[in-house]
Order: sequence, then structure tokens, then C-alpha cells
Amino acid sequence: MVKIAQVAGFLGSGKTTFLIELVKVLVDRGHKIAIIVNDVGEINVDVRIVEMYGLKAKEISGGCICCQIAGNFANTIAVLQKTFKPDLIIVEPSGVAIPWGLKRAAEYSEEEMEGEMIVHAPVVTLVDALRIDELITSVRRLVETQIREADVVFINKVDSATQEKIDMSVKFSKSINPNAEIMFGSGRNNQGVREVADLIEKRTSPRYDETYEKEMLKREYGGKA
Amino acid sequence: MADTMNHIERAVAALGDKPVDRLTAYPLAMGVCRRVVGDGKMTYRDWVSDPKKFASAFIEGQKRFDFDFAIGLMDLSVAAGDMGSVVRMDDQNTPFVTDPALKTVEDYEKLTVPDVKKGRSHVLVEGTGLFVQALGSQLITAAFLEGPLLSLTQAASAEKVFMDMYNNRSAVHKALKTITEYNGDMVKAMGAKKPAGLVWDYLWGSYSCLGDAEYEEFEGQYARGLNELTGKEGMAMCIHNCADLPHLDTQIKAFKPAIYSMAYYPLIPGSPSPKETIEKGYADNCLIGGQIDPRASCAGARRRCRRPP
Repeated sequence: MVKIAQVAGFLGSGKTTFLIELVKVLVDRGHKIAIIVNDVGEINVDVRIVEMYGLKAKEISGGCICCQIAGNFANTIAVLQKTFKPDLIIVEPSGVAIPWGLKRAAEYSEEEMEGEMIVHAPVVTLVDALRIDELITSVRRLVETQIREADVVFINKVDSATQEKIDMSVKFSKSINPNAEIMFGSGRNNQGVREVADLIEKRTSPRYDETYEKEMLKREYGGKA
Repeated sequence: MADTMNHIERAVAALGDKPVDRLTAYPLAMGVCRRVVGDGKMTYRDWVSDPKKFASAFIEGQKRFDFDFAIGLMDLSVAAGDMGSVVRMDDQNTPFVTDPALKTVEDYEKLTVPDVKKGRSHVLVEGTGLFVQALGSQLITAAFLEGPLLSLTQAASAEKVFMDMYNNRSAVHKALKTITEYNGDMVKAMGAKKPAGLVWDYLWGSYSCLGDAEYEEFEGQYARGLNELTGKEGMAMCIHNCADLPHLDTQIKAFKPAIYSMAYYPLIPGSPSPKETIEKGYADNCLIGGQIDPRASCAGARRRCRRPP
């Protein structure tokens, strides 16, 4: 079994800092971790982590979410599993990646890994409380997409943001995804990171639901799905 | 059942909403086609560095797969690479930008029009010409280009561009104008090679990313001129958009492509199903290309395949 944990969030949301702290906690707990990043320009930060902790980092990129990344991503997971055998793969997708698309792409890797099954940890989306008003103006649709598909919305940078902005972040997130669990913290000060690590260790998120997809198609077209 | 139509008859019938003898195949299959050339070990860099090698994938692929169209997609980082971005090319994987050329607002403004007679743009144009020459009498051929906004997001990273659309609007427009000029040069160069059509990849026409007003501002106004130029250069204008929640009213009803290929996302609320796409009239004057998920068809199919009795 390979567990995949997605930590999503828009550019500047503090993903990389949060990820570094999260990985430190998980490594201390004995996990063997690989990281897959999808953020051009931030790879150097992750390379430093590799050197510090003996982790494995791989990068994916590309413009076309459904085709380009799917192939590279699945292959990257399979190669990591064969060569490094992590028990947890943390994925830092681009701010324009769609979480369910990455879930499906991750599950494709099962074809290349004999007998291994992909399990998803809760999808964590970081929301930058400091810049919430800017985000919901400039890239609202992209941020909405990532919140809509999150299991956990982590309101980040609460140590620097005003209460008004934190409240705005919560209200915005709940208006889009009332079912998501809301957590608060700051990657920079290691606040809330252990709680997210607990969730990643203990809980799972549903797989990309092919059965449901087939049912929907059957309802629409009738007959055999 | 044996085919009763040849490729061109089938494609023309499909375009004219007439019955066809079998499902018409309109493939973006450059990866798998590359792997049927020679011993299958040609590296990606070799393939994109030599027009003859680029063309050979479509020519050999056609022998193996018997498609109805040949569509000359290289990858989505051609323009970005020729603008100066560093593109990583592994031996067999799809390449990607590792160091974008455009990092600052000033970079948007300083961007110059890449020369289509150089770099991978040149390979793409000449390679397209070669496979058009080889296959044009047997099937429908088409060139493939990235739209201006897609090229810009490849050359500057998507997240940055989306933020700059709001924070540095005029600089983004300056870069888009430059890229549109490059695209215009590419259309003319492709037109001279006489493919039957040209496919534009207008990927960011997705309601997950942009609303109608933003899409019009950052792609629509540039795309309209390129679409018109495509027709003037003698090529049928086609659009590919595999995003979720596509802007169908703009990209099909307003842009009026001959063919529109799209992907379907049944789990995303509001993303149109094939049935809805037809019911809402999008297929009335446009041939809609559906999808076979490339990973599912190549890898996922194995465990579901049964040997025939």
C-alpha cells in the first residue's frame, strides 16, 4: 500500500514552508517519505530537504493537467515505489492542478506496481489568510476549485493575519465546501502541523470513484454502463 | 466488419453530419506513434530536433493504427522553449519547463517575437510539412499550435500568470500581443505547408480558471484574430480543449471551429456530458471529438482485457 497525501494551495500560500515542517514531523515519526512537487522554481527548496533528511524528491510539471501530468505523475509514483519504497508520498501540486485529477492519475500507477494499492490521505488545501482578499479577487475560480475538493482546509499564516482576515477565510471556505474540516495554523511557526500530520497518518480520503462515474453514465444513457 | 469508407470519405462524412461506417478516429497520439518508429527507442530530444524524425512518427503511426486524421502535436512547451524557457526532456517522458523564461513583470514587456525559422518552431513547421506531404492524399492532416495564453503560462508558470492577470494586467497583455504575433507567423508558416486544418489548444477556456469576461480579455480577443487568419491561410480551424468546465459558448458557438475536441468530467458538477453537449446545440454546426483517456486505454486496459474465445 502506498499512501498519497496532497497538500494543495495557490502560489504564495506557504505550501513549501508548511510541507517542510510537515515532513520533519512525519520523518520523526518513522515514515519513509517521498515528495512530488509540481511547482516550477521551488524545487531547490525541496532538494535541500532531500539532503537534510535523505528523502526522495521528484518533480512533475506541464500545462495540460489531464494528459501530460497524468502520465508523468503515475510513472513517477511507480518509479519511486520500485526504487525508494516510501510508505507515504506527499504531493505538492501546482495551484492550477485539480485534486481529483491527481487522485485518478495516482491510481493509474497501480498498473505499473505489482500488487500495490494507492490509498489517499485527506486532501489538504492551504488558504493564505494574509492574502485572502487578493486571492478571492484575482484567482477566485482556481482557489474555489481547490477548496471545493479539499477534505481539510488549513487556514495558514494565522500568526500574522488579522482576525478579520481569518474570519473571511473561514467564511469563504465554508461557503464553497461546507463539509471540509477547517484547521488553523502557521507552517512558519510549526503551528497546527502536528495535527495535519495526525490526519495524514490516520485518515483516508475516497479514491477517484470510477464506480460512481459509471453509475452516472448509466443514469444518463441507460442500459449497460 | 470491413471498412466501407476510406479515411477521407469517413472524415468528410463525419464533418458533414452524415453516417459513417465506423467511429472516426481523430487522435492526439504522438507519444504512442513515436514509439512505433524503428526500434521504439528514439529519444524525445531526437524526435523534436529533426523534422524528418518528427514526421516519421505520424507516418509510421498511421501504418500501425489506421487513423482518419493525423494531428501534428509536438508538446505544449514549443513556444515557451523558443522564448528562452529551459525545457527538460527525459528520454521518453513528455517534456516540461523547469526554468521559465518570464520571471518578472519586465520580462513580459521585454519579450520579443521568437523566430519561427529557428528552434523547435522550425522543426514543428517543417515536420508538419513532411507528414502532410506523405499522408495528405490518404487522410485529413492538421497542424497543432498552442494558443497565446497557454504559451504564456508555459513560459512564465500558470500560477504567476493568473496572479499577474490581476496585479500586472498591462504587462500580461503586452506579452500576449507578442505571443499572438508569433502565433500569426506560425499560422502563415503552417499554411504554406498545406495541411487541411490547424488545431488550436485553448486550454484555459475553463470555468475552473476564468469567467467569461476574463477569458474574453486574456484569450478571446487574441484568439479571434488567429482563428480568422487560420481560415485565410486555407486551413480549417479546429480547437482542442481538454479542461473541465469548458467555455463552450465562446469556443464553439462564437469561434465556430470545424472540429472541437474535448474531455468529459462526469464527477465535476456542471461539467457537460456528451449528451448535454449535443442537446444544447454545440454539435449542430461543429464536429465534437470525444475522448479515450490515454492512460486508461494504454495502461488501465490491460487488467480489463479478455482474450477472445
